[in-house]
Amino acid sequence: MKVKDIMSTKIEVLLPHYSLRTAARKMKEFNLGSMPVVENGNLLGIITDRDISIFAIAMGYGSESTEVQKVMSKEVYTCQFDQDLSDAAHIMEQQHIRRLAVLDEDNCLEGLLSVDDIARVSCDLAGAVLLAATPNH
Amino acid sequence: MNINELMNSKVESTSPDATTKEAARQMHDIHVGCLTVMDDDKLVGIVTDRDICCKVTATGRVAGFTKVNEIMSTEVITCHEKQSINLAADTMMKHHIRRIAVVNDENNISGFLSVDDLARASYELASNVLESTTSYH
Repeated sequence: MKVKDIMSTKIEVLLPHYSLRTAARKMKEFNLGSMPVVENGNLLGIITDRDISIFAIAMGYGSESTEVQKVMSKEVYTCQFDQDLSDAAHIMEQQHIRRLAVLDEDNCLEGLLSVDDIARVSCDLAGAVLLAATPNH
Repeated sequence: MNINELMNSKVESTSPDATTKEAARQMHDIHVGCLTVMDDDKLVGIVTDRDICCKVTATGRVAGFTKVNEIMSTEVITCHEKQSINLAADTMMKHHIRRIAVVNDENNISGFLSVDDLARASYELASNVLESTTSYH
């Protein structure tokens, strides 16, 4: 099975200059826990609801005055859309993460693959990713 | 396997009159996404990082002026620590949640069980729970 067979292709993205408030609104509206940050087709980073809420507030960042690019994680792990799903799961395990950005042959953002997607087709792969993931209490 | 063999016993709490800024700082400092809300010794609710993201950051409310009791969930879904993890998983699936509060014989919260914890015992149970939750990417 390939990544493209189960990844999510309907992707909502954020622009780097969006405010945290805008990002939070979009996460609420689209029921998402994380969103990629993209500019001119380039994947710049990823931001989660926890980054926006807990981290930003703890740091004293205003939700309307702070841009997404200040808080996002610039380290985004990726895989190719035609890679084997097991390879993608292995990347997640190695990096202790639960989601990957999926790129096409031109390195453009094609979709997102999360452990939730993997769980639909393989308990073993999903379970292994969860075991290795940084705890999310 | 019983829930108390797998659950995370770290239970951190806040008060209903604490500000969401204080709650966010606390969650950040101790690396959790969820706090019980205690009024003296009585459990009155649960507040999560998602609550803060959607009900504070997204709405433009000021975290320093918003109280925990304005955003917390008062309906707390629980299971008993001596119940089986299968029952816990069933309850989580039924309510589409990834973590559940665990109570002891005194009806006090003694821990939390998350999908990550489930994965340590059963990839299948963990995957089933993941599948049933609203999909976060």
